[in-house]
Amino acid sequence: MVQNNGRYDESQVELLVDRVRKGDKEAFMKIVASYQQKVFILAYSHVRNKEDALDLVQETFMRLYEKIQTYRSGENFQAWLMRIARNLSLDFLRKQKSRKKESLDSLDLERNEFSSTSQDPTRFNPGEMIYRAVTELPDKQRMVFILHHFEELKYEEIANRLGIAEGTVKSLHFKAVQKLRKILAPQLGGVQ
Amino acid sequence: MKICKEYKKDWLAFLRQELDSSRNKIMSEHLKGCPTCQEELKELQNLLTATGSFKDELKQVLDSVNWDSLQVTITEQVWEKRPKRLETKPSSWFFRWKWQPLAAGVILGLLLGVTLTFLVLKPQAPQFRSARTDSKIAFPADFVDRVDLALARRETVDYLERSQYLILEILQSEQPAQVASLLQRDNIQKLLTEKKYLNTQLDDVRLQKAKAICDQIEFLFLELSQLSPELTSVELEKIRNLVEEKQILLKINLVKKELQQSEV
Repeated sequence: MVQNNGRYDESQVELLVDRVRKGDKEAFMKIVASYQQKVFILAYSHVRNKEDALDLVQETFMRLYEKIQTYRSGENFQAWLMRIARNLSLDFLRKQKSRKKESLDSLDLERNEFSSTSQDPTRFNPGEMIYRAVTELPDKQRMVFILHHFEELKYEEIANRLGIAEGTVKSLHFKAVQKLRKILAPQLGGVQ
Repeated sequence: MKICKEYKKDWLAFLRQELDSSRNKIMSEHLKGCPTCQEELKELQNLLTATGSFKDELKQVLDSVNWDSLQVTITEQVWEKRPKRLETKPSSWFFRWKWQPLAAGVILGLLLGVTLTFLVLKPQAPQFRSARTDSKIAFPADFVDRVDLALARRETVDYLERSQYLILEILQSEQPAQVASLLQRDNIQKLLTEKKYLNTQLDDVRLQKAKAICDQIEFLFLELSQLSPELTSVELEKIRNLVEEKQILLKINLVKKELQQSEV
């Protein structure tokens, strides 16, 4: 699903990072090209809105540039970048949640509740259902589930990406699936 | 249920046909006779279907984005807004992260050393307290202690001297009638009252010897205060014997001298 846009190994990434530190714009663009889709998938899985996800991709690379001096040589660059993206996505969700709460408090509660097409109670949407359930998962379980099912990474690749053991990835995935079953128990029984 | 637990972890792999044939066969056999696992498998199947549906949605969105132009847009915008300070030359070797723990340790050690040295060597500031409860003037605590002790010594010496005179008068009286008149002149009562006030000052450890002799004098005066005015010569003799036996006068002299010397 993700385009293979110039994948770099760790040493090549470190060279690119060094060049970005020195103000090399071309190196920065290579990093963006290499990781933009991965960041987008993570952001979209959190916010489920194309425009918001694109904003988050841009914000992630802006933050990457600001923090690039703190990146330590030898650290897993992709895991580091994904942490930035995840934190920004979670911040976005928190702000969105508080905004919704404010608008529900001040405006017509009923109208707001059904204004979004994604929340139309008359229309059953499995994608909506799974998205909502996934956002309820604990942080690590959610990351593993997203990477495994939406980015189609193998356990080993997830382990490398997140900088954790493969056994931990399997265990987190199992827990995520069980939790989703629990969250979606009423819907799963009726989905055909 | 306990048996089902052994299969639980493999149902997802079973659905995706990722198991080897022997394990697959075992799972299939178990599934035929287990309604709980059939239910779980159905739920997992539906979960995967729903996940697939979100994945399809994601694929559509991914296909709708022009990634080539996005990377250029992002780079341009980041470059436009980037903080200029990043272009400054890299920091010197001393400030690189690997030296920071060492530098922090050295600074912390120095601070700790300076603090300890200061605490050990700093001159003790005198403690202040009010000399009297009704006074708002504060003096150093040790100064107030010394004044209190000096006053207590003087008052004790004074008490001992007056007791000594009275006892001498009693001892030198040849007639019981003379002693009886001495006892009636309230001298004893006055000294007994004075002793009561003196008791709090005599509680000081440094006045323990004086306290012992003052207590003996008090005991003697209490005995005398209980005698009847018609004092007999036998009773007078008894008093004299008591004073001599306890060597009260000698002790008074010794304690007085000691108190006066310490006062100097």
